[in-house]
Amino acid sequence: MSGAGYKFEVSKRGLFERLFEPPAIGRMSPVSKLVAYGILVFWSAFVIFPIYWVVITAFKNSDSVNFGPRYIPFVDFQPTLDAWRVQLAADPFCDGTAILRQLYLMVHNSVAFMLSPVMRVAPMEPQICKLYLAFTNSLVISIASTALCVAVGSMAAYALARVQYRPKFGNILVFVLLTLAMIMTTSFFGIKWYISSAVALALFFLLARSLGKHFKATLGNGDILFWIISQRILPPIVVVIPIYMMFQAVGLLDTHLALIIAYAVANLPIVVWLMYDFFRGLPIELEESAQLDGATRFRIFWEIVLPLTGPGLAATALLTLILNWNEYLLAVFLSTSKAQTMPIMVAAKNAGEKGILWWEMCSLIVVMIIPVIIMAIILQRFIAKGVLMGAVKG
Amino acid sequence: MSSTVGVPVTFEKIEKSFGPVRVLEELSLDIEPGEFLVLLGASGSGKTTALRILAGLETATSGRTTIGDRDVTDVLPKYRDVSMVFQSYALYPHKTVAENIGFPLKVRKVPKADQDKAVREAASQVQIDQLLDRYPRQLSGGQRQRVALARAMVRRPSVFLMDEPLSNLDAKLRGHMRAELKHMQSTLGTTTIYVTHDQIEAMTLAHRVAILERGVLQQLDTPARIYNDPANLFVAQFIGSPPMNVVHGTLEGASFQTRSGRVETPVTGRIDRAILGARPEDCSVVPAGQGQFGAEIYTVELIGDHTLVTVRAGEDMLTVKAQKDFTGNTGESVGVALSRDRLFVFDAATGARVR
Repeated sequence: MSGAGYKFEVSKRGLFERLFEPPAIGRMSPVSKLVAYGILVFWSAFVIFPIYWVVITAFKNSDSVNFGPRYIPFVDFQPTLDAWRVQLAADPFCDGTAILRQLYLMVHNSVAFMLSPVMRVAPMEPQICKLYLAFTNSLVISIASTALCVAVGSMAAYALARVQYRPKFGNILVFVLLTLAMIMTTSFFGIKWYISSAVALALFFLLARSLGKHFKATLGNGDILFWIISQRILPPIVVVIPIYMMFQAVGLLDTHLALIIAYAVANLPIVVWLMYDFFRGLPIELEESAQLDGATRFRIFWEIVLPLTGPGLAATALLTLILNWNEYLLAVFLSTSKAQTMPIMVAAKNAGEKGILWWEMCSLIVVMIIPVIIMAIILQRFIAKGVLMGAVKG
Repeated sequence: MSSTVGVPVTFEKIEKSFGPVRVLEELSLDIEPGEFLVLLGASGSGKTTALRILAGLETATSGRTTIGDRDVTDVLPKYRDVSMVFQSYALYPHKTVAENIGFPLKVRKVPKADQDKAVREAASQVQIDQLLDRYPRQLSGGQRQRVALARAMVRRPSVFLMDEPLSNLDAKLRGHMRAELKHMQSTLGTTTIYVTHDQIEAMTLAHRVAILERGVLQQLDTPARIYNDPANLFVAQFIGSPPMNVVHGTLEGASFQTRSGRVETPVTGRIDRAILGARPEDCSVVPAGQGQFGAEIYTVELIGDHTLVTVRAGEDMLTVKAQKDFTGNTGESVGVALSRDRLFVFDAATGARVR
């Protein structure tokens, strides 16, 4: 056979092959190793240095900053706790129980808020230093909104992953038109909103049952999913003013509730999107088997699906938590003092009358990034975990 | 354990289409109480769809299904009183073996003590009582299979549905589990519908086999009759290992002719494009010049208790089951002898059997 003379031979490897050929399949060649690790080391330094800079600046005083740059503590500057004293020791309300007091206040005030239609309970005024207040606010708001968002979002995602929806395009159009008509009649002809909405709803059902049969075009789950995800496409600055107006109208500005609701809504698309993928990744036989065994859809969701998507759910929740913790724009609009969060407090250090107090700002940033680093480490653990082993096949 | 009385199951003109694709065409089956019925077919034949329609996991485009004396066409899966063993077993990975088996009872709010008792009984029936505290990931393939079986029988359903339950096991274990499954089914007496693409499983397990091809029922009969009296060319070639030999030629009167010879047939007729079928065990290799066909040896394979000799006769390849001491070389000229009474003739155009 004519192809027999052309063979690769190990003994004939030249310098080029020695440098660029990997020693084994799945390993890297000497040159690519050098290049890859070189880039990684450079990039790591690039990413880590700002964090290092923030941490050491938090322990500088004005002299070390203004006559800087100073790089290494104990060598070219003497670390001090000046910045921390300003935050903590200077304020009489910065004692050990301040955070507990604040949590009690939040519970008291939310109960007072919920009872407000029935009876008047005087809300408590916060007695806490600004740092602790902002930290507690951030903590409570991000955890509560994450819980709300993940609960609603994962159920929505599961429904989208497992139930076929075929809403008729015509029906949606009718619904939108009737809603517009309802708003018009309410605002221009002074008809009570509950009357007009009841009439509109009745009309909708009537039309959907009769006219709806003739509509052919339908939307599918993919359209609904895209519509949900598209909520994240608009620049947040565009929607933040309408959101501000709405919360102003219902009198919730500068409350925790406002931020919790706003954050939950803002992150819902991300939760739905991520959880949809996790649910789709589950073998459907598990749920079919449970259906045959007689479990209801809710039971299947809570007892079979959720435990199996545990790592995915935890990862989604942590990601949402981090996004909420870091959120700035909505907080700037919706909170002024009582509901102020950490990012607002950090940004406020930018605008003092004494110029920018870098060391105070950096100490706040350190307080703010420690929880994020802890969350990131936990997140990384969860991502590495695999729980589905053994569900299917041998 | 008390044995459950089997219930009859029927498919009445079941049609199923996925968009423009017709998966099942007017499938009608009457399944006897306590019967072990195997749905046999290649992938895409619609066998799994038929099973899923009976389970309620899929909705038929038209037609009715009944279990016992109930019409279950539009009934949710949980009200059908069927249990299913999936090809992937579908064990809940975060539950122990005991929790897996007990899940159907827990959902039905059976008292805890009764649950434990039933779980232990079911587990001991499939010999996994010592594994109750393990998780599925700690089990071997065969053990997972047993857990799936135990979970299916623990609540004593009217009907067992099995979707290729043995296909993920290795060959040796598969043979073993097949025997156990057959024993279990005859002990319990529960009507069982079993889907497989493996003809040996179908032949060994079934009371009756339903052979499906592209959504159409080809033959519904006992394994012996399907083997000895196939309804058409498809069934004839699908059943049997090695498969039935086919020779292309013409039928004239009671004689089948090809370029490599002619043979007397048990049927008479006049078909220009006909196919002669002969099972490997009904053929024999004889010295050149004897027998009905002239041929040359293509390959010789010793199986153990017999030898498979493949010969080329004209354009057709024939496999002959010969004695284990058969010797012959590739390219050697031989003759092939067929026994007249064991031959089948088919119309090449339609695949229909000529009787």
